[in-house]
Parts: sequence; structure tokens; C-alpha cells
Amino acid sequence: MTTTTITVTAEIRRFDPAQDAEPHYQQFQVTGMDNMRVLDVIRSVYENQAGDLAYQFACRIGRCGTCGVRVNGVPVLACQERCKPHMRIEPLTPFPVLRDLVIDRTEVEARYSELHLTPQRTQAYTGKAEAIEPALAEHLCHLDSCLACMVCVSACPAVAERPFDGPAFVLKLRHMAKHPADHGNRLQQAVDGGMLECFGCDLCTQLCPADLSPAQAIREFRKELVFGTGKES
Amino acid sequence: MVINQPEMAIEHADVLIAGSGAAGMRAAIAAHDAGANVVLLAKGPRRANHTRMSGGRYNAVSGFNPQDSTDAFFADTLESGVGINNYRMARVLADEAMDRAFDLEGYGLAWDRTDPSKYYLSMTGGGNFVRSMGSVDEGIGITEVMLHQMHARGIRVCDFHMLTDVIQDDDGRVVGGLAIDLSRGVWRFFSSGAVIIATGGTSQLYETSSGPAINTGDGIAIALRAGAELVDIEFMQFIPISFVYPPSARGYTLTEPAHYGKRHTDPNAEAAHLLNNKGERFALRHDPVRKEGSTRDVLARAIMLEILEGRGTPEGGVLMVPDAAVFDSFLKERPIYVKRLLENYGEAQARLQAPIQVMPSALYTLGGVVVDTWCRSGVPGLFVSGEAAGGVHGANRLGGSSMPDIQVFGRRSGMAAAEDVRALGAREVRGIERAKARAQTLEAAMHRPDGVRPPEVKKRIQKLMWDHVGLVRSGPRLEETLRAFREIREQVLPNLKVTAKSRVLNREWMEAIELENLLDIGEAMAASSLQRKETRGAHYRTDFPALDPQWTANIVVQRKGANLNIEKRAVVTLDPPSAVPAAFPQPARAAAR
Repeated sequence: MTTTTITVTAEIRRFDPAQDAEPHYQQFQVTGMDNMRVLDVIRSVYENQAGDLAYQFACRIGRCGTCGVRVNGVPVLACQERCKPHMRIEPLTPFPVLRDLVIDRTEVEARYSELHLTPQRTQAYTGKAEAIEPALAEHLCHLDSCLACMVCVSACPAVAERPFDGPAFVLKLRHMAKHPADHGNRLQQAVDGGMLECFGCDLCTQLCPADLSPAQAIREFRKELVFGTGKES
Repeated sequence: MVINQPEMAIEHADVLIAGSGAAGMRAAIAAHDAGANVVLLAKGPRRANHTRMSGGRYNAVSGFNPQDSTDAFFADTLESGVGINNYRMARVLADEAMDRAFDLEGYGLAWDRTDPSKYYLSMTGGGNFVRSMGSVDEGIGITEVMLHQMHARGIRVCDFHMLTDVIQDDDGRVVGGLAIDLSRGVWRFFSSGAVIIATGGTSQLYETSSGPAINTGDGIAIALRAGAELVDIEFMQFIPISFVYPPSARGYTLTEPAHYGKRHTDPNAEAAHLLNNKGERFALRHDPVRKEGSTRDVLARAIMLEILEGRGTPEGGVLMVPDAAVFDSFLKERPIYVKRLLENYGEAQARLQAPIQVMPSALYTLGGVVVDTWCRSGVPGLFVSGEAAGGVHGANRLGGSSMPDIQVFGRRSGMAAAEDVRALGAREVRGIERAKARAQTLEAAMHRPDGVRPPEVKKRIQKLMWDHVGLVRSGPRLEETLRAFREIREQVLPNLKVTAKSRVLNREWMEAIELENLLDIGEAMAASSLQRKETRGAHYRTDFPALDPQWTANIVVQRKGANLNIEKRAVVTLDPPSAVPAAFPQPARAAAR
């Protein structure tokens, strides 16, 4: 179980909107265990080479979803992505940058808020166990374990080109659509959010750090658009 | 060098809450629903919190295990806490946990089920009954459904806002909170009649820890500086079973089902064997009855002693031999952990077919601010709930009891704070000058041309805590640590420098502010550990290795000027005492078997 070391080159995008006219790239070399994560490289740069680097992480284990970056153009969670010999590390697009690798999520949270992602009940909750089939409960939990990390939104070619909120938001709408207590018109919300602009490329699913499938959520909604939801709204 | 007074924005909140984990969110929901105007501060992005990292196991008496009862839950809590819990808080926890679990279901959480209306129950660390509910989405699901409830209520959440202090008037009453908006480098004073501290624990005091990087004990230190008392602060819970590598994953909990094996659902079954590098089952020496299924404190200490005494692996762990027969249920219940095992260790380990390297890790701050059952601290207008509060768990916490704790007491703190502010009535804005003066002090490191970088000092403190105020403690080492802390406070803290000139997301500056908090709590932990001359729960003294009934009492710490006042105090029991179930202190295990 012994491990070997590796030296990697990281080119990190530096940008302070208040001071810099243009972003620039700064190159660093970091040596560490060969299975270290991109986050380990970034933390080492901060601790040993660039104390002024702005970056974000909290849980370091793929749960808080706040350390998303682009590595060689591919959006990933820095804490989950294994380091590569040469890495260009940049903040997630297409979001505004606070500084260096940290994005401003204000609009992201506003979008979640507008979607009203609480069960829209026709009758008040009784305060007891609701009748939910065990398999459905499990499925609901999978849909609800989205990290809101914005990796899929950053990867989505439709988001870049067309009026589409992004796969993560459709996944959350799907969670509500499948919830037995919810009577909101989630299909309409998904359509309003630009779901039909999705190319069906499946990149969101391939890159999801939580192993979820926003693409499947979109496919299911599209099916309902044709065949109906089977649920009164 | 003349430094201009820092700019400060002035805002108002009826109730100001620091912390975006479940305790803070539940407080916000309760205070909002009681009519208060609430502002919630999140130190990082709002999803960066400890609750989200939790396995989400939730102890509650659901009625689906007919042998269980709230009395049994109460007795288990006291047994695990080795009799020094705040009995009143433990009673409230046992009585209200299930109602709060239903609240979560109302918010949209789908608890795991065996039937449409019957919850799936399992066992977690230390309990005597199958009692823990859970959901596949774990702590993520709990925080998501709560966050959407916050959004639905229009509760204002300020991301990247670190509370640095509460501001008080001449009588000591809280008049607001001072915070820094880290995303802009701007100070904000929130004029507020009530502040709720729900900032979580202090796991970042230790070299190897399980919690998020933001858990630097800020709120506990702020309360201590404001004059509040701390209780049981010498008790730090270590999770026995966590990852050893890679570096980013070191210390992250490996979850109990893998470790518990069949014992996860059967109290008579054995947990996975733990072996040192000689192939010995060392846990048998520490708990011949429960063996590897012992409480977290006993197991963590047993593993640490093997490592310290040179019987660990080269990477600094021991070997856990899992039961491959539970793989299918493990994969179904905790798929995220199977993935982690696969990524960090390999396929054989992920399939529970090969030994897994494990080590202990700082998990949970058992002590905290002294509060009553409505989360009122001794400082008027200051409320504390969640991991930052002390008392309910005593010397050791049951696995699965943190989740109900933060729901039950988060709600209570929100209700009590809203009521307190309502009774206070409208008041003018006060305390701005004090806030400005404090902000100016905290600017110092930003303007110092030369000195020590905060990350270096943080590492020194973490190593001292891990080596001497961790799982294995002794009088001489604790005294040595206190001397080292005094030196850091006097020589190093006044010489901190910050490399970056930008005020936006200046991590070194944030760490400079955190260092004072870490040091305040580290010192309180070391001082009370020195005082407790016995071994109990999570606190192990090599020079006092036995439990001493004289110490069935709490240690309370309060700041008096530059010194800590340390006092031994009787345990808070039920009123009237007859309310203690007759069964206690008899362990309820017999009933389960």
C-alpha cells in the first residue's frame, strides 16, 4: 500500500476584478503523493508559494460542492479529481469570478430560490410518516443528493449557446416532480427553464461528481411532455 | 503608520444567526416562523457546513422498534455520556427528536423505509437499541431540504460572512454582531437584540480531522470572549474509523456500516476486526465484551495507542478486516462510501474483500457554551445551539445523536431568540463605536509589513493539540502545551502578517482572525483537560487511567480578563429527580437482547 511521489505543473488563472484589467496565468510546481487530488495541489500552492491565492473548499471529500474548477478545460470538483502532470486550473465558467478560482454564486442561489423547491402541498403535512414506497424514497434521496456544485452547468454546451438554466436545475425539479407530496407544475418549470434546448449529449451525467444523471431527468420530463405526467397538478 | 478606521456597513436584524449548518438553518426557520426578521451568516458558500458532511444517521424513538422508548434513548445518552450530561437537555433531546424528524419529512426529506409508512432503522456507535433513522442522501439531503425551506421563506442568507464578535452594551447585553464580508473585504455591523451562535465545532484544532475547514471554533471563542461559560470543553470526540490517505481524504470518516458489519442491524453480532501490524486484535484488551463494537471513545483510543506505540502501518493507521457479506447492503445504504473506498484504496477494499487502513480523526466537539434547555447562554441576548453548545452529550456522544441535537435545539434557539427580541421591544442602534474599534484591531495583520504567515501558526497549534490534547493526554504534556500556547499568544499573534494586499477573499487574513479563536479554545481545552484528573469518555489521561466517581461532575470555564477561571460544578439533573427513569443507570442492553 505504499505510495510514490509525483511532481506536477499547475498553471493557475489569477484575476482580481477590482485591480486587474486582464486575467493572467501563474505557473507552479508541486510535489506530492501520486494519488493527490487537484485540491491538494492548490492548497500546497497557497501554503508554500502563493499566500495571496484565492480558492474555495470546505469538506475536501466531495460533499459541499464548493471547490469546483476547470482543469484543462474540464469542470471538476478539485477535491475529487486526481492530479495530472500538467494542469491549467481555472474558475468554473460561465459564472462571475470573485477573485482567482472563486466564483460568485449569488445568481445560482437566486435561481434555486425562484424554483420553489419545497413540496407544493395541496394538504398540510400531517406530521407523521407519509406513505412513500421504499424504492421511491431511495430514488428521491438520490435525486436530492445533488451537490449544486455547478460542474454540469459549466460543462453543458447548451448552457453556453442557448437560453438554458442548466442540467442541475432540471434535476432538482425532477426531485420535486417525483415527490408524492408535490403538486407543483414541475414539467412547465423545466420547459420554462430551457430544458428543450438540451442537445442530449450526456456530458452532465458523465461529469457529475455525485454519479447522478441530470440527462435522465431531462429525458423523463421530455417523455412526460408527450405522454403526460400521470399526476394532477 | 496611521491606519484609517475601516469602513463599516450598518444593518439590522431582529435575530442574527451565525452558521449555515442544520442548527443555524433550523433556528432561522423557527425564528422566522415566530415573526422575527432573520439574517443568517454563512462563513463560506452556504452549503459549506458540517451537517452536509454527516452520514445523516438520526436517533429518534420512531415507534418502529417496540423495545425502544424515550426513556431508553435518554438512558443510552447518559450511559454514553458517562453520567455528566446535562440531564435536562438529554431529556429534551429524547422527547423531541422524533417530532423534528417528522419536520424534516414535511420539508421534503424521504427517510429510508422498509414499508411505505415504516422507517428503516439501524444501529450506530454506542447505543443499545436499533434506533437510528437515515436517508440515502445523508447530510446532503437534510441540508438541501432545509435550504429550500429557507428560500421559500425569503430568509436572507449572507454567504462568505464570518462573525468575528458579538457587541455588547455596558450591561453586557448583546446589541449586535460584527461580521466581515470575506467576498468583498468589507465590515458589517448587524444591529440585533439577539444573536444565535450555530457555528459548529473546533475540529480544525487538530492535525487530522473529519470536519470542514471552516470549523475553527469561532462561535465558541466569541461566546467565551463575551463572558459566556464553557462546559465539558475537555471532551473532544474522535471517530475511530477514517481514511488514512490520500492527503485530502485523511481523517474523513469511513462510515460505521463498513465497520459494524452485521452488528449494524444486530446488537449481538460482532463488528469488523481491527488488527495491528502484529496481526493482534488489540480491541479485546480495551473492551472484552463489545470488542470492536465498543463505543467510539474506547475504539479511537485503542487504535491511537497502537499507532503511538509503533504497532501501526507505515502510513500511520491500523487494519480493519471488513465483512464482505454485508457489501450488498452497504452499497445500497451508503453508495457514496463505496465510491470513496474505490477511489482512495482500490476495488478489493471497496468490495469489503481486503483489509482497509483506518485511523482516528477529530470529529466532534462534545463540550461548548453553557446553555439552558432553550439555548440561552449566561450572556443576555446570546443563544447557542448545535455543536457549539455544550452539555447534552456529556463525555461521549452516541453515533446518530448529532442530527437530532441540531434539529431539536436549533429550533429551540430560534424560538427563544425571537421571543426574547419581542419582549425587548424596539431599541435604537447601539454599539457601532465598539464594533469599529474591534474591527480596527482585526485589521492589524493586513497592515503589518513583516511577520509570520497564519498557515504556519495554524499547523503548530494543530500539531500541539493532536500530540498532547488529543486521544492520549498527560499532566506534563498538557502543561507544556499551555506554555507553548502562552508563547504563541504573546510572541506570535502580535506578529502575524498577510501576504495578499487584496481584501477580497483574503484567506491569510481570515486565518489570522481564526487563529485567535483556535488559540482561545485550545487553551480552554488544555486547561480543563489538566484539571480533570481521571479518565472518562473521550478524555484519557495516561497519569490517571481510571474513572474517578469524584469527577462525575462538569468543568466550567469562564474568561476573567486575560485568565481562565476553571470551576468544578455539579451535573445538572432533572427537576424533580424522580423524573429520571427508574431503569437508569442500569444499562438497557438486557432489554434488547
